[in-house]
Amino acid sequence: MTENRSNIMDTEYGIDSKYKSDKERESDATALMEARLRRMKNLSKDQITKAKLLQLKLKMEEYIRYPVYDDHNYFSNFLKLYIDSIYSKRSTFAKDINVTPVSLSQVINNHREPKEEFIKKLMIHSEKIYKNVCEFHKKTWYQVYFHEKICDTMSNQEHWRPEIEKNVRISKAI
Amino acid sequence: MIIIDTSTGEKHLVNILPVEVDEFNTLRKDRYFFDWKTEKNQEVYKLQLTGSSDILGLKSIERIPQEWRIHIRLLTVSKENKGNDKKYDKITGNLIVHVAKIAIREFGELACVSLRPKSQIAQHYIDKYNMNITGMTLSIEVPEIIDLINSYDYD
Repeated sequence: MTENRSNIMDTEYGIDSKYKSDKERESDATALMEARLRRMKNLSKDQITKAKLLQLKLKMEEYIRYPVYDDHNYFSNFLKLYIDSIYSKRSTFAKDINVTPVSLSQVINNHREPKEEFIKKLMIHSEKIYKNVCEFHKKTWYQVYFHEKICDTMSNQEHWRPEIEKNVRISKAI
Repeated sequence: MIIIDTSTGEKHLVNILPVEVDEFNTLRKDRYFFDWKTEKNQEVYKLQLTGSSDILGLKSIERIPQEWRIHIRLLTVSKENKGNDKKYDKITGNLIVHVAKIAIREFGELACVSLRPKSQIAQHYIDKYNMNITGMTLSIEVPEIIDLINSYDYD
């Protein structure tokens, strides 16, 4: 058996699936998209929700692994995605975790910091929701929240540092 | 993500990371089957045991956001992980799942991973990874893509 023949017989040694021409790429893309759109029509609401929740989990894990030093509100944006993936009304989520719709709205819109109890409730809620979707670490929401705090603090030093520094002195230098 | 030592059954943690520019010169065809230097301008990832710099698998991908799709251009395991005498199992699966995770993260419920293997080996990918076939193209989408990710994440 020649090396090439043996490679073909060994299915997992590798794949070269580069398109050989633009024409090949375009015709494949068109046929694939048509087939996918047909299959997408058969997706259930539950399957779409699971995909959205997995997407959110992967986005959060990516943020935790590679924190971004910018002024986006990651915790509240992820929270919005979480709630909107599951509920048609945010007030229903508020009721489920026993907070008022107003306080939930304030957290979502960055008008108030989430209390620790809020994050704990969110952690427990997520555990129950993700049980039938995918693996979800309990600490994920906490990690997102504290990563954002660290990133914000480090990237905004020019705003807070001058004032704070006035109140720091070293009475005993080393 | 883990791979399995076929001789002992032991599970080993792996990392999948981007290939650095200066690493392309070390990716010899006699160990990695393809000319990986031609992929220098593509998005190329390597699979390594955690704590080791030895590369056990490679893949090159193309993101096609207008189609919510990621196409696997090239994928391989290292020579000693090919065939019945392979040292580690699940290298290919982990490389595919890694792309699947990027696709879901980027495109959510519209995510799709595609590849275009030779017709002789297409059936293997259909059977093993539950892929759909359209003409010459194999693809995996929701819901099968979620099952695939979960089957590797729960290992």
